[in-house]
Amino acid sequence: MKQDTAIAANHISKNYGSFKAVDDLTFEIFRGEVFAMLGPNGAGKSTTIRMILDILKPDSGSIMVLGGPLDDARKDRIGYMPEERGLYRGVPVIEMMVYLGTLKGMSSSDANRQGMAYLERLDLADYAHKKVSELSKGMQQKVQFAVTVMHDPDLIIIDEPFSGLDPINTMVIKDLLLDFRSRGKAVVMSTHQMFQVEEMADRMLMINQGRQALYGNVDEVRRQYALPAVIIEGEGDWTVLAGVDRIEPGENGRGGTLLYLKPDTTPDAVLGEIAARPDMRIRRFELAVPNLNDIFIQVVEGTKQNV
Amino acid sequence: MSKAWLVAKHEYLTNVKRKGFLFGAFGVPLLIVVIMVIVAGIAVEAETNTERVGTVGYVDQSGVLADAIDQPENFMPFASEDDAQAALEAEELGAYFVVQPDYLDTGGVQMVSRTGTPEALLGELNAFLVANVGRGVTPELLERLKEPVEMSVVSLDSGRVVEESAIFALIFAPIIFVFVFIMATQITSGYLMSGVVEEKSSHIMEILVTSITPFQLLLGKIIGLGALGLTQLVIWIAGSYIALALGQNLEFMAGVTIPLDLLLIGVTYFILGYFLLASMMAGIGAVVGSEQESRQFAGIFSFVLVIPFIALVTFITDPNGTVPVALTLFPLTSPVAVMLRMGFGSIPTWQLIASIAILLVTTIFTVWASAKIFHWALLMYGKRPSLRELLRVLRRPTTMATSATGERAG
Repeated sequence: MKQDTAIAANHISKNYGSFKAVDDLTFEIFRGEVFAMLGPNGAGKSTTIRMILDILKPDSGSIMVLGGPLDDARKDRIGYMPEERGLYRGVPVIEMMVYLGTLKGMSSSDANRQGMAYLERLDLADYAHKKVSELSKGMQQKVQFAVTVMHDPDLIIIDEPFSGLDPINTMVIKDLLLDFRSRGKAVVMSTHQMFQVEEMADRMLMINQGRQALYGNVDEVRRQYALPAVIIEGEGDWTVLAGVDRIEPGENGRGGTLLYLKPDTTPDAVLGEIAARPDMRIRRFELAVPNLNDIFIQVVEGTKQNV
Repeated sequence: MSKAWLVAKHEYLTNVKRKGFLFGAFGVPLLIVVIMVIVAGIAVEAETNTERVGTVGYVDQSGVLADAIDQPENFMPFASEDDAQAALEAEELGAYFVVQPDYLDTGGVQMVSRTGTPEALLGELNAFLVANVGRGVTPELLERLKEPVEMSVVSLDSGRVVEESAIFALIFAPIIFVFVFIMATQITSGYLMSGVVEEKSSHIMEILVTSITPFQLLLGKIIGLGALGLTQLVIWIAGSYIALALGQNLEFMAGVTIPLDLLLIGVTYFILGYFLLASMMAGIGAVVGSEQESRQFAGIFSFVLVIPFIALVTFITDPNGTVPVALTLFPLTSPVAVMLRMGFGSIPTWQLIASIAILLVTTIFTVWASAKIFHWALLMYGKRPSLRELLRVLRRPTTMATSATGERAG
């Protein structure tokens, strides 16, 4: 195993009766990266996360976390924010943070200091001594995040980090997560917000029906799904180009025409052809790489058709 | 295990501040003491204060009071009923009594009173009549006639000798103890259960089990809330001692003490009974996962706990009968049953030992079983496990080293 591996799952499977919740998954997550876990509801993401956290035992296969099996000492180096948020409602915010912090091995004074620092950073310092039940939903969400990371974990696992947050708070949390990445921590996020994955994640694993659907570098995955086409904006009759097979006009509101290329040509050749013609002008020329959302739908729908 | 200690500390400190606990620990005993002092004061006042009645007239139609030996100061002879009646109506008398002509044969005495007649007045009247009827006998014999019994009771099994004045403590101390036991265990195990339900339903459990093992969590909760229950017990016992110290000048409480063996056995049963109940409640909380439903289950156990109270009459009339003995041996009812029997009679030593042994074994088993169920049910949402599934979990080998909950979680 490499030194910078945070999680190494090796052929893990989990069945509930005859239902295969997770079916032979193998993946690695490294330190200093944001790793996205994607998949439709019920695909096995939560089960996988719970197996990583040793809440569930895999029926077969093994998982190494931070260099070994998950023991008490390693648990202290993990920060986990479950999908269903939960806080002690009747307790003052800072008191609850100190309690949960000490359970992660912090001293009371450290937990108090770090807790206050995070509340400060998340603009919640005035609420430190208020009860959790008096906070708005967005504030509770931020407190939940602070609880997850206040002990400066080496591995952060977050289910839907941005649900219920406004754009400002989303930015604050995103910056914090990216800060953790730059400090060499592993950040694992499970989400349905594809644009967040495109923006933040370095690598990804998409699970569908318990099996690995896509795995690897986010940009590479997107390029794999690139159409044999380019998007173009400008003036000219694109159909006359030698390398172009057919064209698809841009949809309303989305500028650009889709040029499907012939199998034996490349985007560069087409660009060269356009540049050589005086009757054509272009303002935009790019590869038709689909966004993750399209890929997601394509993968999930594709599996359904196969079944 | 230091993390279990953190949980214990947290549970103790957050719950000790709760209004319900503070009221139970301080408010209720204070209220009881105040009510007791007021009621007792009124009763004692009414029963012992003969001055309230004022002068008591008497008409002797039998002649036994002719010499008026030892006549109390507030008694006054009248020649006829009419004179006495007139004096009563003129409010010169509070009451008068007529010793009937055939008194020596029948003992007939008629009392006429404007208000009630206190117990103590009847005592004075009795003593007055005894002194006069028995004028022929020796002073020693007369003394015996006045006080025929100086009772001390020897309980056969425990060998404890009880003076008359301590009988109060012997009967009431256990009842008070039973009350405290039920309150303290109900409050603390109730907190335990609702805490588990809150943590499960709010999904904090998922964060907790990635920090500590379910067993550490369970242990910490039971210890922390047990300490809370003991705090309540100590406050109540201290309160009882203070009340007794203050009550020494009240006649009915004078000389009353709490027997030490009662206290020791009481505390033993409290601790064992609490662990039994608390671990059951924790298991129920983990399995049921909704506040309302878990309360219903808790209600059943609370009911079983107080069954000896329902059979109270049997405990008084036949403390060594079949029902009290059975309830003494059955673990859930034994704390209350033993306390009651200590008060109303005594318990053969073998029964006491057997009862404690059975309770101890049951408690250990329940803590173990509850830890397993707790472990397994913590993260089960949606459907409630059936009894058969629970039994299957108990038969599985223990996996304490990991926090794996084994079965379906989502």
